[in-house]
Amino acid sequence: MAALLRSARLLKCSPASLLQVTGNTRHAPVAGRLYSGAVGTPHVGLCVRQTVPRRLNVNSLSSYTSALPYVSCRQYGVVPEQRGLVKDEPSVAVRSKQAQQFDWALAKLDSSVRRTGRVTKTLLLRIFHDICRTGYPSGNQALLMLRSCGSLLPEVPLVERIELSQRIWDKLQELGATYDVSHYNALLKTYLQNEFRFSPTDFLAKMEAANVQPNRVTYQRLIAAYCEVGDIEGASTILGFMKSKDLPITEAVFNSLVTGHARARDMDSAEGILSVMKGAGIEPGPDTYLCLLNVYAEKGDFAKIKQTLETVENADIHLMDRDLMQVVFSLTKAGHQQYVPEIVERMHHERGYVPDAMNLCLSLITHGHEETAFSVLKSFTGLLVQSQTSDSPDLGNFFLRHCVNMDKSVENIVGFCKDLKDSGLHSSPLQFTLQCALEAKKTGMAVELMRRMKEEGLPLRPHYFWPLFTHYQKEKNISVKEVKCFSCHDIHHIHTLAVSSPALPNVDLSAFRASLISGFRGFHNVELMAKITELLCKDPRFNSTEPETSENVAYFLYNLIDSMNETEVHSKEEQLREYFGLLRNMNISISLNIFRGIRNILESYQVPELVKDVLALVDKKDNGLENEATLLRSLEGKLSFLEKTLAELKAEGKTASSTLKKVITVLCAEEPTTIIRARKDSEVALDAQKYVALVRVLSKHGKLEEAIDMLKEMKEKDVQLRDGTISLLTLTMNTAAMKGDANSIRRLQETIFTLGLAKPSSNLCSPLITCYLERFVEFLSQERGEMMMLYDLYFAFLQTGRYKEARKIIETPGLRARPTRLQWFAEKCIAAQQMEPLENMVDMTVKLFECDRDDMYHYLLRLCKETNDWQKAEATWMKMQEENLAPRERTLRLLADILKNNDKEVPFEVPEVWFEKVKGQPEMFLEQEIKSSPLVQASPRKRVAASPPKEATVDDYRLKVLSLCKKGKAHEAYDMLKEAGSMGMVLGPAPYDTLIKALLAKGNIEDAMAVKNIATDHVPEFSLSDNANSLLIVSQVKRCQMKDALGTLKGMLQADQVPSQLAITRLVQGLASEGNTQDIQEVEALVKTLGSIKLSSMLFVNNAALAHIKNEDIDSAVELLESFYIQNTDNQKSSISFVFRKVLDANNDAALDKLSAMVERLCNHFASYRAATDLFLIYLDTGRTEEAKFLLQRCAAVNEQKDAMFTYMLRAAQQPGQAAKIKALSELIPDFTEKENIYSHLVKCCGLDKDFSSAKALYERMQAEGVKADELTLKRLALLYKEAGEPVPFEEPPESFSFYADKLKKQRSESMEPADS
Amino acid sequence: MAATAAGKKVFEVFVSKVPWTVATKEVKEYFRQFGQVKKCLLPFDKETGFHRGFCWIGFTTEEGLQNALQKDPHIIEGARLQVQKNRKPFSGRKSNKEAEDI
Repeated sequence: MAALLRSARLLKCSPASLLQVTGNTRHAPVAGRLYSGAVGTPHVGLCVRQTVPRRLNVNSLSSYTSALPYVSCRQYGVVPEQRGLVKDEPSVAVRSKQAQQFDWALAKLDSSVRRTGRVTKTLLLRIFHDICRTGYPSGNQALLMLRSCGSLLPEVPLVERIELSQRIWDKLQELGATYDVSHYNALLKTYLQNEFRFSPTDFLAKMEAANVQPNRVTYQRLIAAYCEVGDIEGASTILGFMKSKDLPITEAVFNSLVTGHARARDMDSAEGILSVMKGAGIEPGPDTYLCLLNVYAEKGDFAKIKQTLETVENADIHLMDRDLMQVVFSLTKAGHQQYVPEIVERMHHERGYVPDAMNLCLSLITHGHEETAFSVLKSFTGLLVQSQTSDSPDLGNFFLRHCVNMDKSVENIVGFCKDLKDSGLHSSPLQFTLQCALEAKKTGMAVELMRRMKEEGLPLRPHYFWPLFTHYQKEKNISVKEVKCFSCHDIHHIHTLAVSSPALPNVDLSAFRASLISGFRGFHNVELMAKITELLCKDPRFNSTEPETSENVAYFLYNLIDSMNETEVHSKEEQLREYFGLLRNMNISISLNIFRGIRNILESYQVPELVKDVLALVDKKDNGLENEATLLRSLEGKLSFLEKTLAELKAEGKTASSTLKKVITVLCAEEPTTIIRARKDSEVALDAQKYVALVRVLSKHGKLEEAIDMLKEMKEKDVQLRDGTISLLTLTMNTAAMKGDANSIRRLQETIFTLGLAKPSSNLCSPLITCYLERFVEFLSQERGEMMMLYDLYFAFLQTGRYKEARKIIETPGLRARPTRLQWFAEKCIAAQQMEPLENMVDMTVKLFECDRDDMYHYLLRLCKETNDWQKAEATWMKMQEENLAPRERTLRLLADILKNNDKEVPFEVPEVWFEKVKGQPEMFLEQEIKSSPLVQASPRKRVAASPPKEATVDDYRLKVLSLCKKGKAHEAYDMLKEAGSMGMVLGPAPYDTLIKALLAKGNIEDAMAVKNIATDHVPEFSLSDNANSLLIVSQVKRCQMKDALGTLKGMLQADQVPSQLAITRLVQGLASEGNTQDIQEVEALVKTLGSIKLSSMLFVNNAALAHIKNEDIDSAVELLESFYIQNTDNQKSSISFVFRKVLDANNDAALDKLSAMVERLCNHFASYRAATDLFLIYLDTGRTEEAKFLLQRCAAVNEQKDAMFTYMLRAAQQPGQAAKIKALSELIPDFTEKENIYSHLVKCCGLDKDFSSAKALYERMQAEGVKADELTLKRLALLYKEAGEPVPFEEPPESFSFYADKLKKQRSESMEPADS
Repeated sequence: MAATAAGKKVFEVFVSKVPWTVATKEVKEYFRQFGQVKKCLLPFDKETGFHRGFCWIGFTTEEGLQNALQKDPHIIEGARLQVQKNRKPFSGRKSNKEAEDI
C-alpha cells in the first residue's frame, strides 16, 4: 500500500486539471494495481463520464446506489423529546407563522427526523422559505437544508429531490450563504442518495472556480459516484490522486470499490476487495458486507446473499435492520422481489424499526414497487401503534395516503384496501383512501374510488363531492356538471341505502342516567331501585364487558348521594340503609376511592352511621387494607399493640397481610428475630419489599444464612423483585462492602443470581465490579440488555484499551444512547486528556440509536482545544463531513477557534456570535471580536457600540445592527441604523424588523415607528412582521393605549397575520383593567376567526368577569362565571384562580363575598368543584388559612379534589419559601396524597430554602412516624446535613441526584400499573 | 336544578372529532337517541370542502343534553366522538397548561 502511495505521488497537479483529462487513462493502471492487483483480475474500465446524460429519468433506472436511498441518519444535533409514530400535523401553517424565527422550524425538522426518520416536502419547503425570508442564511443552515434533500424525503421522487437541492443551493448562494467544502460534500451526498448522474470532472471544476479545496470526503464521494456507474477507471484516477496527497484510504473507499467492480460486472474483483482490505490492515465492516449483499441482491443471487449473511454472523458483525432493509430495496429494484420475505424475516425489530420500515414502504411506493411495499407493510403491522382518535383499527393509513399521492392505480389501491380490511387491520380503508384522494384533489381517482365503494355497498353521501366542487369552482373547470350529475344520481342512491342501514347505535345506560337519578331520589320503591342498579351493573345490554363497568355503577351511586342534600339524606336514612343492604346482598361492590367520596359526603351530612353500610360494599381486598391501615395510623410505633393486633387477627383467622407489613416496617430498624417469628407464625405472603427489608436487617445483624434462606423463600414463593427493591438489595450489599465483607456480598449475589431473583445489573454488581470483571462478563453474555451495566462495561473496556470488546458491547442490539452516561465518560477523558478512548467512543457510537453526534464531536473538539491539537481537530471536521452531519454553531465555533489559535486557515464560515456567552468559552469570543474590530484597541470598553470602520459595507452595518439588537442594545443599533442611513445605505427588511422588535421590547414605540417609516421609505412593501406587531400590541397595552392596541390587532388580522398568544393575553387583560367588557367580546370574536391559535380557554371568561368587577357590576361577573361552570362541570382546565387572586389583591370584599357564595352554590348544587378548589388554594397560597378552613367546611367536596391539591404541591415545591403552604395544606387535608409524598416535597422545600433545622425536624418526624424516605429525599437531606456540617444520621444513597430522580420517575410510571406494596 | 338557565339557554353540546364521512344528517340521527335535536350545526370549510370535524348539537330539553353528556363513549361509524357541554360558540384550541396567569 505504502509503495503504491508513493508511485501515485507522481501526480502533482490540481485535482481539476487532473480530472479534466480523465479520458486519458494514463494513470489508471498505476492506481488500478492498488486494489485489483492483489486478486490478479484485470479490471474493466468503463469510461462513462462523458456519455452519461446530466439528467436521467431515475424511475426507469434500475440502478443500485451505495448511498442509502431511504435510510437516514436520524440526528441533526438536538436532543430528542419524544418518539413514536406521528401523524401529519395540520397546524404547521399557523404555527410556523407565529414562530417566524426559523430556529423553531429547524427544531421541527429535527424532531420530524428523530421521530419518523423523514421530513415532508411541505415542511422542508416551508423552512426553506423562512430561511430565505430572513435574508441572511448562515452556513450551517444551508448545510442542514442540503442534508435534508436526500434520503430524508422517501415520499419524494428522486428527480424532484435533485431539483429541490439544486434550487436550495442556488437560492441560498444568491442570498449570500458562503459555501465551503462541507457544503460541496453535502451536495455530493444528495447526488449519491438521489442516484443523480453527474460529471465529477465538472463538479471539481465548479469547486475550483469557487476556490474551495476538495478534501478526503470529497474524493471518497467522487469515487462512490464513479463506482455507481461501474466506472472503475474513473474511481482509480481519484484514488491515485488521494494517495498523491497522502490521504488515508478508508473503509468507505473500499466499500465503493466493491460496488464499482460489481457494477462493472466483475464479481470476482468485487469479492476480492475484501482480501485487499485485510491486506491493507482494514477489517471489512458491516458496511462492506452490506455493499456485497447489495450487489448480490442486484444480481438476484440469493444463495450468495445467504452465504454472506452467514459469514457476517460468524464474523460477529452485526447488521442492523436498516442494512437489511437496504437489501430489500436493492432486491426489489432489480426485480427480485421473490426473495424479499426471506430477508424481512431476518429483521430483529430493533428500536426505531417501525419508522424505518415505514420509510422503506414509502420509498418502495415512490419507486413504483407498491406490491412489495405492501408485503413489507403486512410484515410489521403488529408493531404499528393504533391511533388514539379512533376505536376501530386504522393501520396502514400512511401507506394508502402515499399510494394516492403517487397516483397508483385504483385497481391496486382497492386491492390493498380489501386486504387491509379482510385482515382486520383497517376498518374503513376505502373511505380513508377516498379522503386522501379528495384532499389531493384527484378527481378521477376519487370518482373511481366512490364507484368501488358503491359496489362494496358502502354508503355514498352528498358531501363526499364537496371537496371536488370547491376545487372545480376555484378552477372554473368545465366538468362541474359532470360531477353534479354524478352527485345527484348518487344522492338518490344514498337515501335507499340509509333506510336499509342498521347502523343506529344501541341505547345504553348513560343515556338515561340523569333521569334515573332524579327518579331514585324519591326512594319510593327501594327494592325496584336495587334491582335496577343490579341491572345496570350486570346486564350486558346496558354495559359492555369492560372491567370499568362496576366503576360506572359506583359513580352512579356517588352521583346519587351527591345529588341529595342533607335533609333528604336524613329523611331517607333508613331507605338508604336498606338500599345499600340490598346492593350488598347482590354482591355489588364499589372501589375504595368512590367509597371515600361517598363517606365524605355522608360525614358532612352528619350521618356517619350510614358510612358503615357503604363500607360493606367496598371491594373486599381493598377493605382489609384500608381498615387496618386506618387502625394503624392512630397507633403508630406501638409495637406491643401491633403484635397484639396480629395475634387477634390470627385468632380470628383473618388474613393480616397489610398489618404484618406494617409491623415489619416498624420493626425492621429494631430486631429481626421477632419479625421472623411473627411472620412464620402467621404464614402470610409478603411482598418483595418486605422480604428485602428482612434480608437487609438480617444481614446487617450478621445473620447471613438466615438472609439467604429468606432469598430462597422468595424464590420458592415466586416473589418478583422490582427496581425499588433491587436498589434496597444494593444498599444491603453496600453496607456489607463498607464493612469489607466481600464474602457476604458474594454469597448474596450468588444467591440472587443463581436463583434468578434479579438480573445482574451494574448496581447489584458494583460492590464487586473492580475485582470480579471476568465473572461480570459471563453474566453479560447471559444477560444482554441491562443497559446500565452494558455502559459500565463499555466504558471499562474503552478505558483499558480493549476496543474490540467495547465495540461488541456498544453494538448490542436494542442498546440506545444514554447522553448522560456518554457525557460522563467524555468529560472524564477530557479532564484526563485521554484522546484515544474518547476518539474510539465517538467512532463506535456512529450507529448507536439516538446518539447525538454533534455532542460527540463537540467533546472531541473540546479535548483538541485542551491539548491545542489542530491536526486532530481538522481530522474531526473531516469525519463530521463523512458522517454528513450538520453541526451546531457552537461546534463550528470551537473548531474555528482551535484552527485560528494555531494560525491555520478556517475553511468555513464561522457563525456570527449574536450574543455574548455567559459561560463556556468567553475568552474565545472576546478575542474574535477584538480581532475583527480595529477600533477596539483604542477604546476597548466601547467596542460594542463602536461604528464599523470607514470602509464598512452594507453587510457590516447589517451585521452590526443585528448583533446589537441581539445584545439588547436597541438604541445603539438605532444609532447605527441612522448612521447607515446618512451614508445612503439600505439595510433590507430583516434588520429593520429585528430593530423594531428590539426597540419595542424596550417599550420604545416612537423610535420603533420611526424605524418603520425609514423602512417603508426604502422598502415600499415593508410591513411589520407578526412578531413585531405582537410586540407593538404589548407595548401599547403597557402604556394603556388600548384603542391603539386594538387597532393594531385588527390591522394584523386584516393582513392575515397571526398575533402572538402573549399579545392577545395582554390586550384582554388591559381591557379588563379598564372594565371594557365590550371590547373583550370583540377581541374574542376576532380571535375566533384565527381558529387554532393557542390561547387559554379561560382568558376571555376570566377577564370579562374582572371587567365586570371593575365596573362594580359583580352580579354580572358572578352570572358569567356561574353559567360557565354550570355548562362545564367536567372541565378540569378551567381555572378562575386569576379572578380570585385579583379580587383578593384588591381587597375587594364585596366581590369576594359574592364570589364565594357562588363557589358554594356551584359546589353544592351543581357538583362543580373547580371554582371552590381554586378559591381554597388561593386562600392557602395567600396565607389565609382560616378562610381556607372555613371554605372546606362549607364545601366538603373540595376534600376530594386530590389531583388539584397534588398539582398545587408539586408546583409550590419548585420555588423557595413555600414549605409553610404545603404544611398548611397537609394539615387541612391530611389525606390528599400519601405521607411519603408530602414529606418528600417538604424536604425538597427545605433544600430550596437551605433550611437545615426544619429539614432535621422533618426527618425526625418521618422516623417517628415510620415514613420511608425515598432515595432522592435522603440525598437531599444528606446534602443539608453536610452543608450544616453535621454528621448524616443515615446511609447516604451512593448514586447522583439525577440517578435517583430518574429512578423515581421510572417507579412512578411503573406504579401506574398495579403495585403490590 | 338549572331552572334559571332553562328559560334562555339552548341545550347545546359541542362535538369534536367528527369523522369526515358523516355529515349533518348522520350526526343528527345519532344524537336523536338522547332527546329531540333542535339544531345541528356542522360547519364546512369552503376552501377544502371538508367539514371541520366539529359541530354543535342543540337539544330541546336539558334532559337530552344530560343524556348525551352521560354517555361515553360516543361511537359513530367506528369513530369516537368527543362530546362536551358547549359554553359559547368559541372553538379555540384548549391550552394544555393551567391558565392561572390569565
